[in-house]
Amino acid sequence: MFTIDKPLPAVTEDGAPYWEATRRHQLCVQRCERCGHLRFPPAVLCPKCLATEHRWVALSGRGRIFSFIVVHRPQHPAFFADAPYNVAIVELDEGPRLHANVVGCANADLRIGLPVEVVFEKIDDEITLPKFRPCAA
Amino acid sequence: MNDLRRLRDRCAIVGIGLSRFGKVPGTSAMGFCLEAARAAIEDCGIARDTIDGVLVLMPAQMGEQHGWASRVAAYLGIVPSFCATVDMGGATPIGMLQMAVLAVESGTCQAVLCAFGTQTNPQGVIPQLFGSPWAIPYGDIGAITFMAHLARRQMHEHGVTSLDYGHIAVQWRQHAMANPQAQMRKPMTIADHQASRFVAEPLRLFDCCLFTDGGGAFIVTSAERARDLRQRPALVSGLGQVHSAELIRPWDDGRGGGREAGEQAFRMAECTPADIDVIQIYDAFTPRVVHDLVHYGFADWEDVGRLAASGQLTVGGRLPCNTAGGLLSEGHLSGMNHVAEAVRQIRGTSTTQVPDVALSMCTGFGGAPHEAPPTVAYTAAILRAP
Repeated sequence: MFTIDKPLPAVTEDGAPYWEATRRHQLCVQRCERCGHLRFPPAVLCPKCLATEHRWVALSGRGRIFSFIVVHRPQHPAFFADAPYNVAIVELDEGPRLHANVVGCANADLRIGLPVEVVFEKIDDEITLPKFRPCAA
Repeated sequence: MNDLRRLRDRCAIVGIGLSRFGKVPGTSAMGFCLEAARAAIEDCGIARDTIDGVLVLMPAQMGEQHGWASRVAAYLGIVPSFCATVDMGGATPIGMLQMAVLAVESGTCQAVLCAFGTQTNPQGVIPQLFGSPWAIPYGDIGAITFMAHLARRQMHEHGVTSLDYGHIAVQWRQHAMANPQAQMRKPMTIADHQASRFVAEPLRLFDCCLFTDGGGAFIVTSAERARDLRQRPALVSGLGQVHSAELIRPWDDGRGGGREAGEQAFRMAECTPADIDVIQIYDAFTPRVVHDLVHYGFADWEDVGRLAASGQLTVGGRLPCNTAGGLLSEGHLSGMNHVAEAVRQIRGTSTTQVPDVALSMCTGFGGAPHEAPPTVAYTAAILRAP
């Protein structure tokens, strides 16, 4: 059968440690060594102070749904079979906001403010995608 | 904030042109650019050798196109001294207008042609998947997902409803029905809107703009030179733009929402939202209209829904909007059609004409909200009758 693969993230130098961390089931972002700002998406310098020195730090993996949508007509054929599927913007307890699917929850039960925690879905040897599921507050 | 008051009313949009548009297979993006550009040149009767600036919107569907603007100029037999392809998405038409005013006022150019063309089914070009590696793997792809998140937050924070969006779509459709060029001229009721299928919930099909093949163009020159041309000039009174990193909310808790673009334009034009007679809002999706009405000071969150529901967004109401039908019902020419309609309102030639227009406003929205980091570009222009 002919199938279209879902597009996967290209792993670049700036982002490689993020994907190394997800492989060991950790959600990591960069913390600026000069000003302490947590930045996401990964970048070679800090948007607050332009310092390049940074450390990858593991986050709690907990947060709340900031927004969610339910896609009925995907813009890419690889997602047709999944529709309707959700995409949330999760605001992590530490501040950064990121896109992810919420699993283990009916689309009708999604709501803004719902507490969620990270889970990891292995796609292949390189990419493990962080996703989220509802959790106790 | 910047201060552009010295540029107020120094330049004018003197010519406008739209190509054929709608479902027009077989004509290239370049073909539409040239058709629209010729229409704009003929509209104002400017001598072609007066045009020494050419700015062209980068057609998103085609991805990267080297030398796109220079090629448009070459096909038109123009040898510009100022020429650029401009990549601000739907914020580009007004972005180009601002660049044109700066070019004319600085003495770089006598007259600047701003143009755009797109073919939604381009041949021989690989359509590019746009979106960041941090969103695409989750199926958050395309323009609508960002707008659906915006709608979700408008609903959550401010009580905006799908019915509010529906009233906007229905009103725009009525304007389109008066416009013989509009793509969508079938009547639409609020029930039709509510019955239309979800594309990305909470947004429905009738919350979304159209797919349009076609092009648009306009010509900018000095107010002085404008007097010798064929049409009543639309003086460029106010201009604003701001680009910010934001995903619904400012990405880094910085400035966002585009208020500054409006503030710059109102400051330059020395007027307030209450002075605006008619506005063309960048309506790629209905929540954008709500956004601009609030962020540019035309409504509060409390009354924006009522404004839409009570027929205040058409002729005779508080703020006639998108009088040609907008991107939702006239066609999606990336806002080049909004600039054309804003000019028509100054000339008195709209198919839904507001009487005695002194100030005609237009907004733009674009950038790259699907890329990393997500960025958005807001633009605003205020045109004045001479």
